[in-house]
Amino acid sequence: MSASPEPERRARGLDIALVLWPSFLAACAASLLFFAAVDPAMLRDGGPRIFAGLDREAGYALGFLFFWGIGALASALSIYLVRTERGSRLPPGAS
Amino acid sequence: MSVARLKPVPASEPSGGGFYAAAEKIYPREISGRFARLRQAAVVVLLGLFYGVAWLDWHGHQAVLFDLPARKFHLFGLTLWPQDFLYLALLLIIAALSLFFFTALAGRLWCGYACPQTVWTELFVWIEQWTEGTRSRRMKLDRGPWTAEKLLRKTLKQTLWVALAAWTGFTFVGYFTPIRMLGAGVVSLSLGPWSTFWIALYGLATYGNAGFLREQVCKYMCPYARFQSAMFDKDTLIISYDEARGEPRGPRRRGAAPRPLGLGDCIDCTLCVQVCPTGIDIRKGLQYECIACGACIDACDDVMEKMGSPRGLIRYTTEHAMHGRATHLVRPRMLVYAALLLVASGALSWSLVTRTPLILDVIRDRNALYREVRGDKIENAYALKVINLDDRAHSYRLGVSGMDGLELSAPTELISVPPGSVSNIPARLDAPAARAGGVHRIALTLAATDASGISVRENTRFIGPSP
Repeated sequence: MSASPEPERRARGLDIALVLWPSFLAACAASLLFFAAVDPAMLRDGGPRIFAGLDREAGYALGFLFFWGIGALASALSIYLVRTERGSRLPPGAS
Repeated sequence: MSVARLKPVPASEPSGGGFYAAAEKIYPREISGRFARLRQAAVVVLLGLFYGVAWLDWHGHQAVLFDLPARKFHLFGLTLWPQDFLYLALLLIIAALSLFFFTALAGRLWCGYACPQTVWTELFVWIEQWTEGTRSRRMKLDRGPWTAEKLLRKTLKQTLWVALAAWTGFTFVGYFTPIRMLGAGVVSLSLGPWSTFWIALYGLATYGNAGFLREQVCKYMCPYARFQSAMFDKDTLIISYDEARGEPRGPRRRGAAPRPLGLGDCIDCTLCVQVCPTGIDIRKGLQYECIACGACIDACDDVMEKMGSPRGLIRYTTEHAMHGRATHLVRPRMLVYAALLLVASGALSWSLVTRTPLILDVIRDRNALYREVRGDKIENAYALKVINLDDRAHSYRLGVSGMDGLELSAPTELISVPPGSVSNIPARLDAPAARAGGVHRIALTLAATDASGISVRENTRFIGPSP
């Protein structure tokens, strides 16, 4: 495979998609399950102080973004490990 | 002399260089025919529902509203609460099983006609065709220099795309926040930060997926595209090129009999490739990029008709039919999927029909097991939580049973709970001391006093002195 900038840019774009997309799906599922059981207002009223002043809308949004972030971290780590594996048939430019 | 070799437009096949090959832009050729009409109908119906249902009202509230701030889901006459999570879980299971069932039966119907990716891409491509013209004109426009016309056409396309994407984001958020309130917020520029954020995120996703990424979503991002083949067998309906009939392919004059020329029915016009939204050549066999949209069938049928050959060189068929064997509609896989689907749908319907829009939680007083009152009676105290899940107010009468001489000392009046609200009520029961010894299993009942017939029964214990 050539090392021209075009495939490299494309590999980078694909990596970003592969990090953001599965973690987005996982965040949807996690938010659904979590917020079916937990009311964000409950965290505000009876939870630790970092949740003070959190309204429901912000609670849902931040919860979703939190799950998405954690998922993205896991996806990114997976991709990094696959790309940097010795003898990987994938080009180093993609790591 | 009329030569049937159609316009020699490059077929724009992806270069097949694998994972890191630059994706060539695909210019799907405009197409008309049976399956194109079917897909257009699906687009109109599905997007009509999406954009329209958000504005429907039902008895004074938005008909379909997943009211997250209030933690209530309105589905026409039904109001669901977080306690009703079971329904959502069942619904998701039914959706997954339907996908399995229909995939095993008829292949990727979902991808070709119902997937939001397909439906919105179709809409975005219509806009593209309207602003930039046919496939060949679009290709010429992209290759050519930036003239005033190119700038105008591109600007018009982008403007319409962005407007449509923004409207889509707005509608989507309108299913979670009352849409008229949301609309008023947009008009008066007083939208909350989170509503703005979600509209922008969903709008951006629509624009990116339907305008820019398109078939790459199916090829690189969609998990279903990768595992759908697990539901396939030799009796599944697939779109297939009849190789035995088509090969060897080659151009010939219109009306020329192919066999004496040593040719099959395929005239190698590459129209099937040009119309393909994912840019594959169906003549190379079934590929996972194929979203079964049927565009190649429409294109080829058209050509076959012009050539005077029978339709169906590319057609919906099964692997068994292709090899001259019988296709079995009923097979173990179908029966299993159908049975599971019936069980899940039955469970959902049954639980919805028998659902009582009233919850009674009974918690025994934690401070004292029992109290002696008026010398000859034993009293137990309870905390009741009455949740009215209905969208009407109800009055309920509390009743007790399960023990001789057990009586309700409070509350003696009716319990009124507004729609969708919770009432916390202390309750006291007493029983003659002579009969109250030990632990008794009793039941509290709550029955609506109106004609709705709503009632619930909750078991608890009545505790007296050890005998």
